Amino acid sequence: MIADAATGIALALRGEGDPYALSRILRQGDAVSLGALRVLGADALAPYALDHRVCPGGDDEKVVREALAAYPPGADASEVSVWTYRGLVEASHSLLPGGAEHWPQPPQAGADWVRADPWPKLAHRASQLAALALPGLAPGLAEDLTARTDDLARGFVRAVRRRDWLQAAGVGRWLARLPEVPQSLGLDAGLAFVRQMSGGDARVAVQVAAARRFYGRGW
Amino acid sequence: MTGGRGDPGLLDRMVADCLGWLDAARPHFRLPANATTDADPNLTLKPLGELAELAHLIGELHPIGDIRQVARDLFAFAWEQTRDGELFAELIRGEPFATYPMELYGAFAQAGLRHEDVEELLATTARLRGRRVAREDHTRTLAVLNAERRIGLVQHADFDAEFARTGLGLLPEPWVLDRKAAYGVTHDVFHLTQWGRLRERLAPEFAGYLRLWLPAWLENWLEEELWDLVGELLAVSACLPDAPCDPGAWQRLAGAQRADGAVPETGAAPCPDDPAGVFMACYHSTLVTAFAGTLARTARKPPAPGTTSAKARRAPSVRCESEALP
Repeated sequence: MIADAATGIALALRGEGDPYALSRILRQGDAVSLGALRVLGADALAPYALDHRVCPGGDDEKVVREALAAYPPGADASEVSVWTYRGLVEASHSLLPGGAEHWPQPPQAGADWVRADPWPKLAHRASQLAALALPGLAPGLAEDLTARTDDLARGFVRAVRRRDWLQAAGVGRWLARLPEVPQSLGLDAGLAFVRQMSGGDARVAVQVAAARRFYGRGW
Repeated sequence: MTGGRGDPGLLDRMVADCLGWLDAARPHFRLPANATTDADPNLTLKPLGELAELAHLIGELHPIGDIRQVARDLFAFAWEQTRDGELFAELIRGEPFATYPMELYGAFAQAGLRHEDVEELLATTARLRGRRVAREDHTRTLAVLNAERRIGLVQHADFDAEFARTGLGLLPEPWVLDRKAAYGVTHDVFHLTQWGRLRERLAPEFAGYLRLWLPAWLENWLEEELWDLVGELLAVSACLPDAPCDPGAWQRLAGAQRADGAVPETGAAPCPDDPAGVFMACYHSTLVTAFAGTLARTARKPPAPGTTSAKARRAPSVRCESEALP
């Protein structure tokens, strides 16, 4: 289910396939769909952020509301879980109809880890939050990560060397959003390399397509 | 990584333990009677050549007198094994077009240990056009050029031009580095800086590149427990202008060192009941660890803010000055 949804998102971001409709891929009242939405987070709405946006419909709104109601982060939720949930809330505010007042408030998400994590751990967490690397989303997190651009770039190198394509793609997508990526990293070639080496992994394809579509990086 | 020299006590203990093990391993470095004929040079000449190269460096640079003395004794032992250079004359007569006898001899020649017949033979063979054909890769060409410089021969190619074509000179994407390329990059630095003697030859462009990516490479090969490459990467770190030090990496390398001082090349130490096997599995990484520890102990302090050395702005061409033992 996640792979199918990711394939649909990647196609939409590349401008291919049928016009994107979240509710056609992830259905209301279906626990598996809601679980997939929880994992994909803001990426489920990413195609609606394109300039020539496909307008979201009422069914999209319903399925997102249902997922947000089903999986509110608990007191013991990991920071990645809280940020992922927050990303979906923020994306719903900006990309779905209904007005901000009708959506849950974004939960407070801690960012101390961005400053404190050793770079391998930082890069891993950032890759898990790659769905937040969308224009306008989580500006504070993006600013904090900017201060650690070199460390994220090192994480990209480590992930590629370990053939951890999903992590590499996620970190690479963040790097695509950040302003001062080291030129010697070769990010554009790196994103293309990761996409090709991943053997068609749909979630890798989403990250690479987002980096390309929203930030013009990769080929 | 942080600036500074790490934990000097830890570094000195590691170097001293390495040298202690290497000193006790002299019987394994000793050349067999067939060293110039049918013995496998990878098991005989290569270990001795590495011992000479790095023991000489440690004997020159290490700040602790006792450590320097052990290293100098090992270097003298290596020269003795070559029968005061006679070995090289035999090797050249046997393989006149090979470069390795000259590369090995260069380590001694730069210390003032020379052999008349070898010099005469090289005066002929080293200038042959056939010797200018690149061997293996551009990094190896740098080794040949350095040997020519050490011995005082005419350089067969331009060092800077060759360096520009190496794995470091091309500044490749840091994520393409495989194991072989990583060894190439470390040796590009060693040849350029003359094994850390002239660290200012690393131009800012390359120093910046290495400062950015060394932590990622170190982490990768620490995870793979490839200890000799870890040691080489730590040695490269010590060649950078502000000598970034990764105390955690040194701790992990220290954790791989056996109680007797040996550092295995990869993974855990081999079974101790096969002394020859232990020697081959450990001699290289043990030498490299002693070398890296010496460079780390003699690393340049980070410059005060705003006082970037003008000398460090550009790598000067490699000159041909003599290098005698102090």
